[in-house]
Amino acid sequence: MMLRKKLALSVLGLAISISGMTATSAFADATLDRIKGRGALTVGVILSGAPFGYIDPKSQSEKGYNLDIAKALADNLGVKLETVTVTPPNRVQFLQQGKVDILIANMQYTDERAKILDYVPTPYDRSGGAAVVRKDSGLKDWSDLKGKPVCVSQGSNFTQPLIEQYGAVVKALPSQPESLLALQGGNCVAAVHVGATVGLLMQDRADEWKDYAIPFPTELVPSDSVIWLRKGEKDTQTALDNAVKTLHADGKLLEFAKANRLLNTTYLEEEHKALSASK
Amino acid sequence: MQDSSILNTFIAMMDRIGLNYEFLATGYEATIWRDGFITTLYLIALLIPVSLVAGLVFAACLTSGRPFLSAPVRGFVEITRNTPTLVQLMFSFLVLNTFVSNLVGGAQNNPLTPFFWVVAVVGLHIAALHAEAMRAGIEAVPSSMVEAARGMGFSQWQILRHVELPLAFRASLPAIVNNLINLVKLTTVGNAIAVSEITYASIMVWTQRDNVVSLMIVILVFFSAINIVVARLGIWVERKLAVPGYGL
Amino acid sequence: MTATTMTSGPKKQHLTRSLAFVALPLVILIWALTDLSLGRTLVEWIPYLASGFMMNILISLLAMTFGTVIGAIFGILELAPYRLVRYPVVAYVQIFRNAPHLVLIFATTYIFPFEIVIAGNYLPFPDWVKAVIGLAIPASAYVAEITRGAIQSIPTTQWEAAQGLGFSRWQALRYIILPQCVRRSLPPWMNLFSSITMATALASLVGVHELLHAATDASTAVRRIDFTIIAYIVVMAAFFALCYPISRLTRRLERRFNAA
Repeated sequence: MMLRKKLALSVLGLAISISGMTATSAFADATLDRIKGRGALTVGVILSGAPFGYIDPKSQSEKGYNLDIAKALADNLGVKLETVTVTPPNRVQFLQQGKVDILIANMQYTDERAKILDYVPTPYDRSGGAAVVRKDSGLKDWSDLKGKPVCVSQGSNFTQPLIEQYGAVVKALPSQPESLLALQGGNCVAAVHVGATVGLLMQDRADEWKDYAIPFPTELVPSDSVIWLRKGEKDTQTALDNAVKTLHADGKLLEFAKANRLLNTTYLEEEHKALSASK
Repeated sequence: MQDSSILNTFIAMMDRIGLNYEFLATGYEATIWRDGFITTLYLIALLIPVSLVAGLVFAACLTSGRPFLSAPVRGFVEITRNTPTLVQLMFSFLVLNTFVSNLVGGAQNNPLTPFFWVVAVVGLHIAALHAEAMRAGIEAVPSSMVEAARGMGFSQWQILRHVELPLAFRASLPAIVNNLINLVKLTTVGNAIAVSEITYASIMVWTQRDNVVSLMIVILVFFSAINIVVARLGIWVERKLAVPGYGL
Repeated sequence: MTATTMTSGPKKQHLTRSLAFVALPLVILIWALTDLSLGRTLVEWIPYLASGFMMNILISLLAMTFGTVIGAIFGILELAPYRLVRYPVVAYVQIFRNAPHLVLIFATTYIFPFEIVIAGNYLPFPDWVKAVIGLAIPASAYVAEITRGAIQSIPTTQWEAAQGLGFSRWQALRYIILPQCVRRSLPPWMNLFSSITMATALASLVGVHELLHAATDASTAVRRIDFTIIAYIVVMAAFFALCYPISRLTRRLERRFNAA
């Protein structure tokens, strides 16, 4: 019955059905009430690989730094955790539609994103892009990428700086394994992803990646990894901000980072010191 | 100057009915999107002749009666018809391409681009469908006609060239036009390997802006328009080639 | 010509056919055995991949069910004697037959809400259901065309004969025309089934947990290049194992109907 109705709507014209549909997401406002009411926090997580998020084959469950944070936040709010796997091309849509309450999905702060979404002001990590390139490529810095093909994931926040600042020719693939395979196949000279993920990959699978390195001295647009939520949800924002601050202060985040083998924990250590001191 | 004012009026008008085309007035997204349309049209213009020529070669192999020609082609036709084109494309681009790179001594020598792989995979997939249609067409040519031609002293090749193919082509034309419509639709899989056709360009825009609906309407209209043109051309060719009295 | 292939071929053809069927699994098996650590990892992931493939089958079955029911109705309506009925249906069929499956899946995933309110109750509206709708729409447009073609292929004299026997227009359709149509439209319907089944792989691009998506998840977790490659071969083999028998059966039916 429902399906038939949907189909009938589509016949009348996608445009009409659409404007009616999007309207429904507009009054999914008091997210915090809904989280409490349903007794569950729905978090969009990304499975871009260790250390942030991946599937464990034995338990077929998701694991990683992002998952640990999601679990801790749900505990803090006193509700159970539900996760939804998102990908870079669909994560903003899922949040906007209300399919997930928040995103902990390797999404760094950018001004563009802040225009359409709100975020939890206290970051849970700081990271930027690292470029994996062939050792014999002779590429030394970001500016060497001008006019060269560079692989990223679709929806990556490295796309814009790569194009606008460094003049690279960006090729966006559905996800990270495809992008890295494309690099090995020679379809791009560099693959740019979140530094910690590719760093750990090069370390763990040194043999497979012996011809490759991460040679650039700086990270691309190092920025704060923040939790994203829908525009105007102040109460949720405040509650989560307090929760993240607590996680920093009692050293939980640092603990998660070490357990998941994040390579660079300088930022987390600083934040831990600052916040535990102020307590 | 005047251009941008027309654009701004359009954006404002669309905004009033709830559609967001703001990105058209800004930097690289507008360029990516415009190039997306051009790339899709270019892909289609290239793929139609590629698929037809390859389809003809496949059909000739399939009906040749020589196993060393027909068996590999049959194998390819079965695999390409019975596995998702998206997976074939990913496999070719990620696996075969790496293989080619190793063969030519390193990725830097590999001239094959994602664009090439889309043309190869989609072109050969549609060619396999064309070949099946043409084979059916060749087999439908009345044997009396083939025998008459043989009686007139035509060689096997001449029979194929002057009798079987012209008739088979006419008989299989509706199926071929249908395949071409599928071809137009299949070009969208290119987005999975970063060929900047229109769906890829749209993903690049909507992941940063959340205006799926606005883009989707344009894409649907765009593909409908292309396919109406393809279908019309098919009917036109069919009429042009009709053999009076043969019922085709 | 056809006569010669029919007499000389069957045994050889049968052999190549079964060879085609086992070729991909054989590649996987040999490779997994030559590199045991790869083989073990693959075995570990098989249940996860299988759960993904179940989703492909579920989506394709549901999409075809809805597509067939709606498409058959639309096919009959396409021949309705009233313009007011005919034109909107013809427009629907034209638009959605020409639209890329991928674009329709994108559209349904991102446009429909994630839950529906029915009488105050929130019903979840998961992604895979949206993929079902995204594929049922083009399927229904195709089935409509198949149905229309099948009805039109029945000679008008049969309608007249039925009328002569005192059947009403509806009765003639129900008892005389439709049963013949079903037989004629079976082969193209099965082709469509196979094409919709393969199109379910597109749902991976919008994040539905189906086989291709599961393979990507697995590759991300394992982080071995050879595993990523074998995972793609497994995906191809799974689809082939499902679609190849359908296409063989279709061809057999086609041949039988052509002969009849």
